[in-house]
Amino acid sequence: MDDHLIGIVSNIGVISFVALSAYLLLLTGEISFGQQAFFAIGAYTSGIVTAMWQLPFALGLGAGAATGAAAALLVGLPTLRLHGLQFAIATLAFAEAVRILFELFRYQIVRDGELVGPNGIEGFRNIRYIFENDVSATEFMLIIYGLLGATLFGLFLLERSRLGTAFRMIGEDDLLAATQGVAVVPVKLTAACLAGTIAGLGGGLYAHLTTYVEPAIFDVMLGVHSLAYGLIGGLGTAFGPLLGVVIDIGLLESTRWFAGYRMIVFGGLVAVLLIVRPRGLLDEQLVHRIRRAVRRRPRPSPANDTVLGKELS
Amino acid sequence: MIAVPGFLLSLLVAMVLSGSGLAAGVKAKAEVSCAATAKSLEYDCAIKLSDQRSGAALTGVDVTVGADMPSMPMAHNVKPVKAVPDSAAGTYRARILLEMHGDWAVKVDLAGPVRDRIVKSMRFEPKP
Repeated sequence: MDDHLIGIVSNIGVISFVALSAYLLLLTGEISFGQQAFFAIGAYTSGIVTAMWQLPFALGLGAGAATGAAAALLVGLPTLRLHGLQFAIATLAFAEAVRILFELFRYQIVRDGELVGPNGIEGFRNIRYIFENDVSATEFMLIIYGLLGATLFGLFLLERSRLGTAFRMIGEDDLLAATQGVAVVPVKLTAACLAGTIAGLGGGLYAHLTTYVEPAIFDVMLGVHSLAYGLIGGLGTAFGPLLGVVIDIGLLESTRWFAGYRMIVFGGLVAVLLIVRPRGLLDEQLVHRIRRAVRRRPRPSPANDTVLGKELS
Repeated sequence: MIAVPGFLLSLLVAMVLSGSGLAAGVKAKAEVSCAATAKSLEYDCAIKLSDQRSGAALTGVDVTVGADMPSMPMAHNVKPVKAVPDSAAGTYRARILLEMHGDWAVKVDLAGPVRDRIVKSMRFEPKP
């Protein structure tokens, strides 16, 4: 693979984290326009840990994920009692507040005779871990996909657990879920914290992939896209948002001849898709049909073996 | 099934530990200036590369120039183009075709003897 392709594939991997983050909240029936805030918090935190404090990369990613979770907890406590549009607006307001805070955030130290660290609207440059530690683009791509695979596996287990069932119950009808004994607010708070963790982890990877971050990156556009990934790809499985990311970035990359009009074309396609398949390509019904088809596949049984064995003999 | 995350985590650990840990001896510094060409939205960029520590010009480096619109990362970007060495030592030229005017983060990627990335925030406006 050439460097450009590696870059695109790495971008798809990193953006998948914020898509999965929005997907987790969509499972509980909440639409968040603010997952980019946790992505930003993770990006800045992990950048500070590795580029400024010179601590190991794994610690930087862990710190990014932890601050993402902590921020989600702080925001979730007052907002998760809201519903629908009110919750969506609250998350958007929070994300914009975070972006503006990063525009005002200045914390720099001198390294190698140069100031390093967040510098308000100019952003945070020189997050050079991959260059200072001789990590190749391919190696970093494998790190991204290793962590994405682990996250997907975690979600796979979660969706088969009681907690995952509670997420979907709340997403269907939170009042009905409450009457069935589901503690709605704590479960939603758990979902928000997990979503914040995933977004924070993705942010840490993004900062190290691009080597720079700035507040403009984390504006509402990223939030809308991260939400759209789940809605395009489908809400039936965690692979849905990933499919959404592949379609989004793949489509944008393959329609370069539209130049500046690409987003308009993309927006139109998304609108059409959502009319045709309101819960995305991999919706619950399709996922159910696929699972049923897989289960129906005939397996060789010992009885058949015996019969065939007799016929042959 | 358990082997899958185990494999992925060991891959991660291996990747994190695989870095040589040796800080590259050179830290690149770039001065970038772009001028509009006759073609709409096309800019001719001159790049001057030097070692931030010693100030020596960086020659023989594979240089590619790309750009991202920070307000729309990945939605609007410039496919990286290879820069060609110019007459003076450590200088390179590349032509980039933007999708629109506005604020762009120009990314200068270095490969070969020096591996680094320099990002410059630049505003591209239409010719007066």
